[in-house]
This record gives sequence, structure tokens and C-alpha cells, in this order.
Amino acid sequence: MSFLFGRRPRTNTVDLPKQAKEQISKLDGPGAAAKAEELAKTLGQMKFVLQGTQETESSPEQIYSLVTGMIQEDLLYLLALNLYRLPFESRKDAQVIFSYVLRFRPPSASPKSEPMALSYVINNRPEVLVELCNGYNHTESAAPAGTVLREVLKSDAATAIILYHDPSEGSPGAKGLTGIQPEARQSGRGVFWKFFDWIDRGSFDLSADAFNTFRDLLTKHKTIVAQYLSTNFDLFFNKYNTMLVQSQNYVTKRQSIKLLGEILLDRANYAVMTAYVDRGEHLKICMNLLRDPRKMVQYEGFHVFKVFVANPHKSIAVQKILLINRDKLLEFLRHFLEDRTEDEQFIDEREFLIKQIRNMPPTPVEPAQKPALLGSQAR
Amino acid sequence: MSIEAGASQYTVLHELGSGSFGTVYKAIDKTTGEIVAIKHVSTFQARQLTQADLNQIDLESTDEDIQDIQSEISILSSCTSPYVTQYKASFLRGHKLWIVMEFLGGGSGLDLLKPGNLNEAHVAIICRELLLGLEYLHQEGKIHRDVKAANVLLSTSGKVKLADFGVATQLTNIKSQRNTFVGTPYWMAPEVIQEAGYDYKADIWSLGITALELINGGPPHADVHPMKVLFLIPKQSAPRLEGSQYSRDFKDFIAQCLVKDCDRRPSAKELLRHKFIRSAGKVEALQELIERRQLWDGARERPSHPKYYEETLSVLNPTKATSTANIHRHTMSPKNDPDEWVFDTVKKATVAARKNTTKRRKLSVIHANGQGLASGAEEALKRLDIKDAPLDYSSPPPATVIRGTVRRQPSVVLASPTKPRQPSSQRRPLQPDMSFGNSASTVRVFRRVSDNSTAAQVDSDISVPGTTRDENRPPMAETVTKDAIYGRRLFNKVIDPSFQEVHAQTGNQAKRDALSRLADAWSALDAIDPEGEYQLMKLLLEKVQNDPKLAAHLSPSKTTSRDGTPQASPQKSGAKLVLAQNNPHLKSHRRRQSSMLPEDPKEKLANLPGQAIPGMEHTKQLADVLYGRWAGGLRNRWPGA
Repeated sequence: MSFLFGRRPRTNTVDLPKQAKEQISKLDGPGAAAKAEELAKTLGQMKFVLQGTQETESSPEQIYSLVTGMIQEDLLYLLALNLYRLPFESRKDAQVIFSYVLRFRPPSASPKSEPMALSYVINNRPEVLVELCNGYNHTESAAPAGTVLREVLKSDAATAIILYHDPSEGSPGAKGLTGIQPEARQSGRGVFWKFFDWIDRGSFDLSADAFNTFRDLLTKHKTIVAQYLSTNFDLFFNKYNTMLVQSQNYVTKRQSIKLLGEILLDRANYAVMTAYVDRGEHLKICMNLLRDPRKMVQYEGFHVFKVFVANPHKSIAVQKILLINRDKLLEFLRHFLEDRTEDEQFIDEREFLIKQIRNMPPTPVEPAQKPALLGSQAR
Repeated sequence: MSIEAGASQYTVLHELGSGSFGTVYKAIDKTTGEIVAIKHVSTFQARQLTQADLNQIDLESTDEDIQDIQSEISILSSCTSPYVTQYKASFLRGHKLWIVMEFLGGGSGLDLLKPGNLNEAHVAIICRELLLGLEYLHQEGKIHRDVKAANVLLSTSGKVKLADFGVATQLTNIKSQRNTFVGTPYWMAPEVIQEAGYDYKADIWSLGITALELINGGPPHADVHPMKVLFLIPKQSAPRLEGSQYSRDFKDFIAQCLVKDCDRRPSAKELLRHKFIRSAGKVEALQELIERRQLWDGARERPSHPKYYEETLSVLNPTKATSTANIHRHTMSPKNDPDEWVFDTVKKATVAARKNTTKRRKLSVIHANGQGLASGAEEALKRLDIKDAPLDYSSPPPATVIRGTVRRQPSVVLASPTKPRQPSSQRRPLQPDMSFGNSASTVRVFRRVSDNSTAAQVDSDISVPGTTRDENRPPMAETVTKDAIYGRRLFNKVIDPSFQEVHAQTGNQAKRDALSRLADAWSALDAIDPEGEYQLMKLLLEKVQNDPKLAAHLSPSKTTSRDGTPQASPQKSGAKLVLAQNNPHLKSHRRRQSSMLPEDPKEKLANLPGQAIPGMEHTKQLADVLYGRWAGGLRNRWPGA
């Protein structure tokens, strides 16, 4: 690690991206290990240009030339693509490089403007974001890619690009911001849909990291997400319910039930919520969660269940399920998570649900209001 | 799938020991042949307890548990340094999280202290290696926060590594610095105690204390109650190394580490240039220490029979996979259980069913299948859980006693007098840190119990350092008769805690030694003849009662012995119970405790608050008393706690 200390970068800053690009291209060839070492050094130098060292401050001019160089050489894409092949420390360096570069604004630019590299990626090279997501294909790259992604997802444009990535035959998919068609339904082949697999099947680390990114994708930019979920309601919730809510992975299951509750209760997602709680089969899944042997699953499930019951315009299907189970539900809820004696909100809500269920009319009543959303496509 | 793949990559050899929040196994990575240590955490259990204990904390913060563990693991996984124990992988099975770490066979710094204090040359080497580890962590923006001999691990070749960095505190204690704070006062920097907010310089202070610990056998103030130490450290001038046998450089090094003003305290990098460090020898020299300890262990310990894991993970996997699948299906589909939700009937009842019927049929078919499979699966799961439990030990624990006082392990718990239980604590011959607990074990008061277990460590840190014990005894004599049972109970509940307390209150070394000799003798009696012990006590009490003067003076103690509460003052216990309920530390503490004590809920309940360590139940009364004082003190400091 000695190269990290003391020495000044000897290569000219402008040449670093080019050099890195060459080294990446040789990762496959003979002497790959040696090349990886050299690449590690180059990346280390780039990091110091961006971060500065204890002795030297970083200079905006140098960073500017580095960033433009990286854009010219398409280095961000190459780095994202090859992240998993880098040596351990280099992956962390790459993560730092990404974070700095994608945040960098030239001193002259207004602080409100989009950072130059990020703007370039969003408009011209969205594949960088896609490849960062694909970092979850490899354990090695999952954490650094995830860290960069969550940083980038603070931008609504970047979020939209990942959500709307939809490669079709013959076209690469990522089209940049201008290519997005929010009204078109997703095919499910886009990179966003891979998150379900990563979360469900990955190792604990990978799955947890992917879930954090997934959560950010779905919660940071509410209007985009509300539109997206409305358009792709069936595709999304089918996958969500089967792969996440009913996952065999305890953590995935719990976290996704919680996230589901958050999504449904978000004001921006009102239309999605009403459509969700309109479905009998969703209620079934949810009621089974209440009977899960694990208390925290029950508890998280409760917070979804309450939405069904509290809905003043319950669908016929939902009413029927609730009515046929009314006595059991009343009995069940009376003793549901009894040890939560100090969770007042929970107790209040439980009481409220009991009251609601008890006061339901004995036969299903046609709801006065139907969900605005997707009456047509849902059934 | 890769979850299972993750598990099947390892073949578990045997248990290394169990810590405050899980059990540690030695395992082989089948793909590389590498030996690793695997520990597992029951996230579920943590959850449940959180739920039970932290009632005021809503869902939001209970959720932080898992997320915290996640983020801590990601911190762990981003550390690679030869001076820091290496994280390998983690995987989930059911609701249990397994963490795979590098295996280090040389034991902890604490283990090395058991045969005797270290010399200056050895301390210098260890300090240098620790500084290198701290330099790495600090440069990575991480603070260890719990540097002490117990968290220093050695490989068999003498390499020194920092263990439990961050994770220890953060994994077990939910996000709370204050918890860490409560953890190990003796090693804490003044600014940590004063809540001045700490940065990486706090680790340097702890390093200085660790150096003192290694050379003196315990940290400064080791014989003072930990709570009092919290006041002493900021108030008193910084400890110094004294004694003409030590070099000037060493003394200066300690003085540099222990600068009370953290701004003036040097960084790890600066200290690496200190003369004491620069002149330190090679790590191979530490092999002497490891050998010394092995010899020492060998001399006093019967060969320990490792407890073999009943089934290897890989064998378990398929079972597990199917069992979870089944259970899953089981829970997902309506059961025949009359209480189960009825979805089919609902549909039948509805004339105008909109859904096609085939789908419904399918559901019921699944449910029928699931039903059949599920019972088997549930059983399988139960079996797994039992296996996962860190409890029953088949072999006597290794000797861990300092000063040769061999203490028996009071193994019989009242609830099950015929089934001797060995505390899980003792079984960590190799990797004590795995506990992720904070052990205050070199603390002098607790010296004779020092190497106690991780399980006990939690106790010893915060509440009752003196109450944990060694156990070196072969499985104990069967206690069958009623008298014998009472004898045991007497010892566990009354005699032993009383000895502990008196011992802890005794300052004079000679008096203490005498006292521990008596305690040892008594424990020997208890081991061999609990009936006789009972008779003896009975006679003693009778005689006391027959003497009116004595009876008048000693009557309270008489009552205590009857109801088995050795508390010095009853009002304390009441106050303390209330406190304890809200004390954040206790919560996490309890959670940790109970994550390793999945069985016997009654007993657990009886032991609330806290300290339900198998085999350690006898200490809990005293623990409660001390804990009460401790918590009271904390509350005075932070009324919000």
C-alpha cells in the first residue's frame, strides 16, 4: 500500500483516464494480474487527484481535466463494466472516483446545475447507470456499485433512467433521459426488474445492498415512482408479492413487507394504494402474513393489513374475505401481538381494525367508489 | 440459492464457543480448504426481544436492527488489512445470520495474559501491530471503539490482529455509542466518558490502557467498580506506567497514548514513529507467548473435547432448503386448522365468483400438500434450532483460572436440578473475541474469573464483573437428594454470590486471597458434597438463631438465605428493576443474552431483568444489585437514558 502515501502522482492528470482505459482493455490478455496492479495504481492516482492528499489540496482545474478526460475515454462506463474485476482496494478507489466525478461541478457552474459528468451520463451514456446496477451480478462489485448508485439516485433523472431502462430486440435499451416514455408499459426486461432476483437470490450482503438501492429507487422521487407503479402495476406487484413478500429469505421478506407498507401509505401513491387494496388476492397474502410464525413478519404484515380494513371503499372481493373470516379475525386480532403493550399506536390501530371489522355490514356492499387507477388493465 | 450455496461452502467442524450474541463454529471453506470461524446471529431473536423490551420504540427503530447489521457488515467487508481480522462472508439461514470470519488460532491478548503478565518486548510488538491496525481503520474512517486485550487476536504464527472493530459494538448494540460506552469503562478515553463526542483518538487512549493491561495484568482501576471508574477516568490524572524495570521509552509511549486532551494525543501514524515502537521486535517472538499459554493450559486443563457440530452445514442445507420451502408453503396456504383463514369457502359462497375456479383448486391442492410436508418440515426446523442453540455442551470446559484457583462451575440450575448445564461461556479456547462481547476480564476484582466467557462478559462489564466464574470441573456429581439440591441452590444463590460480593468489596490483597481460598474450599465442598453443604449451613443458621444476640444482629441475613436473595439492601432491588426496564443498555444486553439462551422461557422470565446465562443464574441476584447501582449512576449522568 506504500504507493498510497507520500508519492505524488507522476503521470500527467490528463493522461490518467487514457492510461486507465488501456489497462482495463488488457485485463483479459496475458499478464492480467500485472495489468490489474498497474490499473490499481492509476486508479489510486486518480483518487488522489480528486480527493487531494493530506499534504496537497485537490485543485478544481486538475479535477476538471480529469473529468473531461474520463468522459472522452468513456472511462465511467468501462469502470462500471469492469468493477468486479478490479482488485479489492481498487474497487473502493473506483467507488470514490465515481462519487467525486459524478458530483463534480466546475467552479464556474451554478451550484444548482447538474454535475457535468452526471449530466453527460444521463443524457448521453445511460449505460453507465445500467452497468452500475449490473454490479449486483457479482459479489465483488455489489457494495461499491451500490454505494455509487445510491448517491446517484438522489437525482430524479438518474432514477428515471434506471426505472425506464427497457431493452428490446435490436435496441440497447438505455436511451437517455429524452428517450423515456413514461406511458409505455415495461416489458420486465429492464435492469430495474433484475433487482427482484438480486434481492431474492443474492447472498446476504448482496441482497441487503440491492434492497437498499431498490428502496431508494422506489421512495426517493415520489412522482416518478407513482407514475411508474400505476403504469406497471401488475408486473410490479406480481413480482413484488411472489418474489419479495413471499420470499424464503427472512430479511427480504420482512424488509419488503415494510417497504410495501411505506409505498402504499405514501400520499403520492394514493392511486396505487387504492388499486392494491382492491384485490382479494392481495388481502389473502397479507392475512397469511399475520399468521406467519415470526412475530416481526406478523407485525409488518399488520401495517399492510390495516390499509385493507381501513379502506372505506372496500371491493366486494375484499369484503367477502373479511366477512367470511369475521369471527376469526375478531378473535385473532384481540390476541394479536399482545405483548406489544406499550406500542400505543399499534394498540389503537388494532382496536380500530377490530371495530371496523365488527361493524361491517353482514353482506358485501357495492363500494361507492372504485379505484381510479387501472380498472381496465387490472382485471 | 446462493444463500444455500453460501452455507454449503463451509463444513462446520466444531464449536469454538458462544458469545453474547451467537455461537461460533470452526469451519472449513471447502473451496479453498481454509479454516474459518463462523458465528451466527439470530436476527429473529434480536427482533423479538426488541419487540418485547423496547416497547416504546416503534417499528421504525426496531427495523434499524437489520439495517444496522447490514451496514455494519458492509463496513466489515470493506476492511482488508493484515492487522485486522478478515471478514469472509455472511449468509442467512432461516432467520439466522451467519458471519464467516478469518480463523486465528493463537488466542486473544487476554488468553496470553492468563499464565502471567507480558514483558516489555512483547508488549512493544503487540502495540506496534495494533497501531498498524488502527492506522488502517482510522484511515478508512473507522473507529474501533473497543480496543483492549480481549479484542486482540493472534494467529498461531504470532500475527496480531484487531478484532471486533466496530461490529462488536455496533452489531450487538443498536447504533448506540452510549451502549458501547457502558461496555468497557476501564479502557475508555476521558472524552468518551464526558460525552465530548469521540473520534479516532479515543482508540489511542484505549491502546495505552491495553498496553498497561498487558504489562500489569489488568487496566488501571481494575479493582474499582466499573461505574466508579467512569468518574475516576475524567477526574484523575492520566495513568502512567510505573516501575524501574520498564524502559523510559515504554513509559513515554504510555504517557503519549494517555494524554487526556485528545487534541494533543498523537495519532496512530505519529505513534508508529515512537522509539518504543520502532525498536520493537518481530511478531514471531510472540509465538513464545502462545506456547507459554498452551503449556499453561495443558498443565491445568484436561484436553477439551471439542463439541462437534452434529451435522455439517452442507448436509443441513438440503434439509433446510426443503424445510423452509415447506414451511413457507405451509404458512402461505390455508391450513386445515379450523382457525385458519378461509378463502376457498369465501369463494364458494360467492355465487358471482369472478375468478376462475381452477386457480382456486390449485390453491387447495397446494395446501393439502403443504400440510403433509409441513409437519415434517417444522420438526426439521425445530431440530435445526436446537442444534443452533449455543447451549448444551458435552465436554468440560478448559481451565481458565488465573492464580490457580480452580473454581467449580455451579452448573445446576434450579429449574432442572438433574441436568447439569455447562455455561457456554467457557468454551472459547481459541477465539475469545468471537463473543463480540466486551470483556472486562482483566479487571482485577474479577481476576480469578477473568477468562470467563463471553457470555459472562456482558455481565462482567456492566453490571457484575465479579459474578462470573470459571468452571473447570468435570461434570458434577449427580445431585439427587433434596438436601443436595438445596445445597446446590444454597451455594448458587447464597454462598457464592456472597463471596463474590465480599470479595469485590475487599480492597486488601491478602484479605482477598484468604477470602478466595475460603471460597474455593467452599466450592470444592459444594462440588463434592452438596448435602453436607446444606447440613452445614443449616447447622450454622440454627446455631446463630440459638444465640439471641447473634440472631438479632444477623437476622436479615437469615431471611435472605431463606428466600435466596443475597442482596445487601432490598430497596435497591426494587428501584433497580424499574430502572433496568428502561435502560437502553440492559435491553441490548438482554437481547444478547437471550439470543444465546433460546430455551427455558420460564427460567428466563424468572431471571428478568437480564443476566440469564446458562450456568450463571446464581450470579444474577448479585448482578441485579450491582446493575441497579450501575444503572442508577448512569441515570444520574444522563437523565434521559
